Amino acid sequence: MSRALVLLAAALIPGAWAQSPVPRPAPEFRIAELSGRSTLLSSLRGRITVLAFISTECVHCQRASVVFERLSHEFSAKLQVLEVAFNEGADPAAFARRFGLTFPVGTSSSAEVHRFLGIPAGERLGTPQVVVIDSKGIIRAQSERLGTPLLQTPEYLPSLIRALLKRELMP
Amino acid sequence: MIDTSLVVSPFPGIFFHLKQTFWLYGWPFLIGFLTIAGYQIVGRVVILGAVKWPTVFCLASLVSMTSLFGWVTMVRRVEMIPFYGCGAGLASAVMSRIYAITMPVHPRLGVRTPKVIWRGNKEDIKRLQEVLRGSRSVSDPG
Repeated sequence: MSRALVLLAAALIPGAWAQSPVPRPAPEFRIAELSGRSTLLSSLRGRITVLAFISTECVHCQRASVVFERLSHEFSAKLQVLEVAFNEGADPAAFARRFGLTFPVGTSSSAEVHRFLGIPAGERLGTPQVVVIDSKGIIRAQSERLGTPLLQTPEYLPSLIRALLKRELMP
Repeated sequence: MIDTSLVVSPFPGIFFHLKQTFWLYGWPFLIGFLTIAGYQIVGRVVILGAVKWPTVFCLASLVSMTSLFGWVTMVRRVEMIPFYGCGAGLASAVMSRIYAITMPVHPRLGVRTPKVIWRGNKEDIKRLQEVLRGSRSVSDPG
């Protein structure tokens, strides 16, 4: 009886079946910046990284970017924020200028983003897709395939980062 | 998906979910309620005929602006329809229990404020009928 209830509850919670394993090591990822430079995700180890995959046209991404900008100042040296636009015709420079973003905003292909998130290519993604990676390169939080608003909010995300920092300070 | 081994304070999450629940379900309910109740109140005040036209104008404008503001700010998804409907239904049910809405002058503020006369309030209904009868006999002397 209780097992049936658990199964029923799991079926009713959207995305419960599609939970990909967290924590897991972050796969390598190359972010192409407008300057022609490219950044490897592995080069950012040693700091907590908030990596957001966005569409420059999505309103939620625009709002979340403002939250990320605030966080990057709040946690300055302890946190690295990166955004990757993967919509067609994305202009990350114009996007960063429009919202006053000081962290790097790069581009990538949709296929690469799917591969990084562990979602089959071609499946629809809700944006922004937010990934929080600890200083050892382990993914500690990741949006559901259709998006997780909790990971974009100015209330929750700082608490999550603080929890990660606290854990990293522990012996 | 968040690593369950992380000790994150539950309050920001709870606050976020409360806020989200309000905007997703509470707000359509409230707008449904305010739209129906507001238009019915304006209708009844107009029918009463004892209120000056600027007051009617302001009340009607306020109600339609509230309704439109709600529609603009509401998350429009299929799931919100029952909540909007329940708000509208509750407003209709509440309004059906109201006998009249009058606009007496507030004793302290000195301005006209709405006063609800419920169907069960026999005393106020009788008083209102007497006032209306009196004003009719003054306006129709012949």
